[in-house]
Amino acid sequence: MAGLAGRLRKRPPKYSAAALAWKGLRGQSWPRVWRDCDLQRSYDAVVIGGGVHGLATAYYLARNHGMTNVAVLDKAYLGSGGSGRNTAIVRSNYLTPEGVAFYDRSVHLYEQMAVELNINVMFSQRGHLTLAHSDASLRTMHWRAEVNKLGGVNSSVIGPDEIKKECPSLDTSDHPRYPIHGALYHPPGGVVRHDAVVWGYARAADHMGVEMHQKTEVTDILCEGGDGPDGKGAGGRVTGVRTNRGDISSPIVINCTAGWASLISTMAGVRLPITTHPLQAAVTEPVKMFLPTVVVSGSLHVYVSQTDRGELVFGASVDPYANYSVRGSLEFTEGLAGHVLELMPGVSRMRILRQWSGLCDMTPDYSPVMGFTPVDGFLVDVGWGTYGFKAAPVSGEQMAEAAATGRTPKLIEAFALSRFDNGELVGEKGAASVGH
Amino acid sequence: MTMSRQGVQPTEVIDRAAKLRFRWNGKRFSGFEGDTIASALAASGEQIFSRSMKYHRPRGILTADYWDPNLMVQVGDDPNVRAGHRLLESGMDVRSQNAWPSLNRDIKAANGLLGRFLTAGFYYKTFMRPQWLWPTYERVLATFAPGGKIDLDTPHAYHDKRYTHPDVVVAGAGPAGIEAALAASSAGASVMLVSHEHSVGGHLRYSSAAADQAALAELRTALDASDVEVLTDSTVTGRYEDNWLGIVQRNHPIAVERLIKARAKTLVAAPGLIERPYVFEGNDRPGVITSGAARRLVNLWGVKPGERAVVFSANAEGDAAVADLERVGTEIAAVIDGRTGGSISSTRGSSRAVDAVVADGASIGADLLVVAAGWTAPTSLLNMAGDRPVYDPAAARFFPSDPPSNVLATGGLAGDADLDGLRQHGAATGRLAAARAAAVRHRLQSRTARALPVDGDEPAPAPDERAPLGRDPHPELYRADTHGMVDMSEDISSKDLVAAAHEGYDSVELAKRYTTATMGPSQGKLETVNTVAAIAEARGETISQVGTTVWRPPYAPLTLGALAGRMFEPVRVSSIHPWHEANNVSIIQAGQWLRPDHYGDPAAEVRNVRRNVGLIDVTPLGKLDLRGPDVGKLLSLLYVNKWMKLGVGRVRYGMMCAEDGVVLDDGVTGRLGEDHYMMSTTSSGAGGVWEWVENWLQTERPDWQVHVTPVTTAYASINVAGPKSRELMSRVCEGVDLDAEAFPYMTVHQATVAGVAGCFMWRIGFTGELSFELHVPAGHGLHVWEALMDSGSDLGVAPFGLEGQRIMRLEKGHFIVGQDTDGLTLGPSTGLGSLIKLDKDDFAGKPELAWAADRSLPMVVAIQPDDPDVVPEEAAQIVRGDTNEILGRITSSRYSPTLNRSICLGQVEPDLAVGGTKLTVLLESGERIGATVIDHHAHFDPAGERLRG
Repeated sequence: MAGLAGRLRKRPPKYSAAALAWKGLRGQSWPRVWRDCDLQRSYDAVVIGGGVHGLATAYYLARNHGMTNVAVLDKAYLGSGGSGRNTAIVRSNYLTPEGVAFYDRSVHLYEQMAVELNINVMFSQRGHLTLAHSDASLRTMHWRAEVNKLGGVNSSVIGPDEIKKECPSLDTSDHPRYPIHGALYHPPGGVVRHDAVVWGYARAADHMGVEMHQKTEVTDILCEGGDGPDGKGAGGRVTGVRTNRGDISSPIVINCTAGWASLISTMAGVRLPITTHPLQAAVTEPVKMFLPTVVVSGSLHVYVSQTDRGELVFGASVDPYANYSVRGSLEFTEGLAGHVLELMPGVSRMRILRQWSGLCDMTPDYSPVMGFTPVDGFLVDVGWGTYGFKAAPVSGEQMAEAAATGRTPKLIEAFALSRFDNGELVGEKGAASVGH
Repeated sequence: MTMSRQGVQPTEVIDRAAKLRFRWNGKRFSGFEGDTIASALAASGEQIFSRSMKYHRPRGILTADYWDPNLMVQVGDDPNVRAGHRLLESGMDVRSQNAWPSLNRDIKAANGLLGRFLTAGFYYKTFMRPQWLWPTYERVLATFAPGGKIDLDTPHAYHDKRYTHPDVVVAGAGPAGIEAALAASSAGASVMLVSHEHSVGGHLRYSSAAADQAALAELRTALDASDVEVLTDSTVTGRYEDNWLGIVQRNHPIAVERLIKARAKTLVAAPGLIERPYVFEGNDRPGVITSGAARRLVNLWGVKPGERAVVFSANAEGDAAVADLERVGTEIAAVIDGRTGGSISSTRGSSRAVDAVVADGASIGADLLVVAAGWTAPTSLLNMAGDRPVYDPAAARFFPSDPPSNVLATGGLAGDADLDGLRQHGAATGRLAAARAAAVRHRLQSRTARALPVDGDEPAPAPDERAPLGRDPHPELYRADTHGMVDMSEDISSKDLVAAAHEGYDSVELAKRYTTATMGPSQGKLETVNTVAAIAEARGETISQVGTTVWRPPYAPLTLGALAGRMFEPVRVSSIHPWHEANNVSIIQAGQWLRPDHYGDPAAEVRNVRRNVGLIDVTPLGKLDLRGPDVGKLLSLLYVNKWMKLGVGRVRYGMMCAEDGVVLDDGVTGRLGEDHYMMSTTSSGAGGVWEWVENWLQTERPDWQVHVTPVTTAYASINVAGPKSRELMSRVCEGVDLDAEAFPYMTVHQATVAGVAGCFMWRIGFTGELSFELHVPAGHGLHVWEALMDSGSDLGVAPFGLEGQRIMRLEKGHFIVGQDTDGLTLGPSTGLGSLIKLDKDDFAGKPELAWAADRSLPMVVAIQPDDPDVVPEEAAQIVRGDTNEILGRITSSRYSPTLNRSICLGQVEPDLAVGGTKLTVLLESGERIGATVIDHHAHFDPAGERLRG
């Protein structure tokens, strides 16, 4: 890292209790979290999408590989997509060995994040319960637990009595329409303050020289030598991007645009096996803390946790139809409320305050698509469906390595785009759909 | 501030003859019928209603209505009740929410001293080290969560929903809204008028002007005489695609809250305007109230808000408040006019004093500061319809820009006028709404095949010819020369917002997320525009340039109970269920069904089936009745095997794969007649397969003549299995030859069974025994079951349950879709690859299956542990030797009472799927055991002799 020193900006003040006190006493203000920069005509790498994935990728390009002449472009503001719309759950109790290893690394990076990025992302490892309401789903929980154990992930199946102990507000009696037979209990799982992750990566990347450009929309990807029109498509290579603020040349362009991933990739002549579906979420008014863990029920299509502010945050499965609209629906909140009351009848007087939705880029096997494409220099970090937030740190780390070294890191080999040609799918449907 | 009840006001809504007693923080209080909780407390001199979230500052009445962020209280087990809106009831137990040990002395108020350190977002900058302390920090932070307490024993009370299809829904019942409703109704439209308040009239309700009261009386009389349906204490909370509206009704006589779902042909948005607080130092102190609050307190509830008031007025509402206050004897210490440059800098004074410090530094002694600084247009419903309202600096508020044609705005949301002007605009809006609704109604009716014919042509689209409302000039008053609270519910000051913008959180969405301004219970109704103004100021831009946040549903919060309503997911049982219950059954829940798992001893049930004869109730088995000349083509399309040559009276097993080649379902289908088939599916797949079949027919092959009827619950299904099943069946069947040659394996016959005509039965066998599967008209299921039990007592007939069936199917090596297969298991992996006929015309999954045909895939295999007494868990992993490398897993396992050993099915890597392969199975206990793959799936009777017998 020493060689980098010349290019580093003057180190801005660190966040700490002492700094807060000092600035509070002297009435000083804090410097900007990231600079407002002029858009350059050329970069060593351009990341499309200023969400957690794009920002983490840029951060690791600078931190691990010394690539600081990097621009992150976002058509709106940082974190305006899925990064600020998800329900902020982090866990690693997946179903496939590949998935477990990958998400376990992510949890590890989240555990280090507050100190590494010097921003409190409030990772609350409060435990994660995935409820089983039938023999069949209990069997899947056992399967996950066994795979998790082999991957060194803390995860086990517990019965109704233990569930009641971990989470007293759940109705574990046999009265409900869908009684709780057991649960997969994953103590390291929890929730993170999602916006802080966005800002933390942006701030840390900025410190190393990466530029963040908001309100900068990519309208085309410039290629040469490909077998399609305008030199796009297989066999070609990327030369830059066209934006609403002018053209930028860059030998590396990384697509981190989640819901818009297939549209952006098409600009390079790369077709992705992805359809975009809205995913809805909602939040209630705050009440005093009563829900100590994250609770998920796959059969009831609901996941819920209580924020430190006292609100219940709910999410569901993706809407069944492909759509780019982010307006919520009434049916969603109705179904959600019905199923939440199945689990916790005592919360019927809590009021829904706000509902919203985000866009999810769904792949056929519920696993992401990461790494190289048939267009040289054009990389994708897409197909993140409903599980992108929890994978942001590890994705950024691995994508940065791929972009900087030109080689696919082992941890993401299984997620290559080519798997759809050679049939090596990574089936996470059983653990990823409504598996928050 | 000292509030007190005054003499009778002509406009008051309280019944002074009806005294209501209630408790406030355990002490006895009283009020009158018609009081809100807040007005009753104010009338009794209460000053502090809550404590703020972060600094625990004392908070009093601000707006005295639903949106008042300072009046959230707990009523019994109901948290976050809006005391400014909720009507007082006798015996209410009302408590303050965010204070300890008491509202007047709150320990956490000490945080106020730390204000300069606890700037917005401070928690992102600290509590990072030492890392191990974070869980403790978090617990402390969590104690600052505001809001009430939930009682986990609260029942999910009665909340049925209502569905309605009015022509016009008017959201808001001020003068413009009422006129719109009346005009639309006169034009022949069915109209629903939704009033957020407890009575209609909007701002006229609390105006003491004679002309206003006369107009109100006139409007109410007209409404009473009209066909308009009026909902009070109800709010249109959401507008979704195609004017699908969610309306919450809070005053339903039975339901705690009722959700009304309305498909309106036209929506009229007439919510009026919300008065905006003014930002200055001390603007959140008890005694600083909006002009609307002052007018409501005086005119609706006869409460004098203070003894000596300073009024900061920038509009007519403020001026009217002065008159109202004077009438009830409040001394007006000063009127500061915001239109001529006057301003308030801060408030001073201890306890009940609210001295106002004006721009020149002079302090005016008072106990009440009334502020009329302008309006926020609640554009939520327009936003939800896709409109992006535009800010007008001359009028200092947002206005609609271009809502869709089925959403119209009127009243204060649309502009300004005198009362007559507002009423005329409302009426014109109502006529336009009715005309547009009529066009929609005409279109819907003329395009609905079975609707009554509709007269005439569709009306031409009604153009909007309303004379637009004016825009009264209003000074842009957002912040004085001092900083104050912008978001009362979140304790966010203008200083916080400016600091956040300077830190780089300078778009409204970023600032909102960073500071949490506008994210509390009032969801920006009071604070959004002030937030935007603070950011604009920090950026040196205008409010138009900064733009506003997106208003999302719901407009007013509604309970989970109202949203949930009653769950329409009934538990299913077969008609034979009463017999099971009377016979020591152990029930298992399987999807929507309750099924017999066993009757005490599943192993004995298995032995009896293998030796004698057993009955199992398999009613949940999915059944689809398929009729028409193209059923054969449909079956060939959906199953991987061939169907065109299936003869009448024959039954065939079929496997279905999805387009990705993954196994979707399996079952047998029989041909009952030339154009009549019965398809059976797995029990859990019944619903999904029906949708799958309909999807193909309706979207891919609409030209095929096939009629699909799901008949799962129309038949009770009984499997009669065991070597003595033919003997038993012969005792109850009429008109059918059960002999092996006349009724061979995999055929179907219709018959009269135990006197019940219209039964059909097929010879198939999941259990591996000679068996007859009977499908009996559902109402006769119990009768036929009992007849079989009675007739077979000498044969040793006994019931068996799901567990016995699972053991027997495992002995036979029959896989279960979804248990032995998973979301990636391709057709050939089941071991039934020979079933897949790639020489067929196109069928679902063919391209993927053709691709898979020459690949090595993971396989389902039968496995036997080396130690016959060890039964590995279902989900136990198959690993490579002593390593953690996963090579497969056990998918089914049982102890076989027939073979007296443990038996399994599992999925393994391709190279292990050979008979005789030695495996290592990792048990949940951590122990590793040896096991062997066997040559074929069947652990028992691999040749199938018993089955075909």
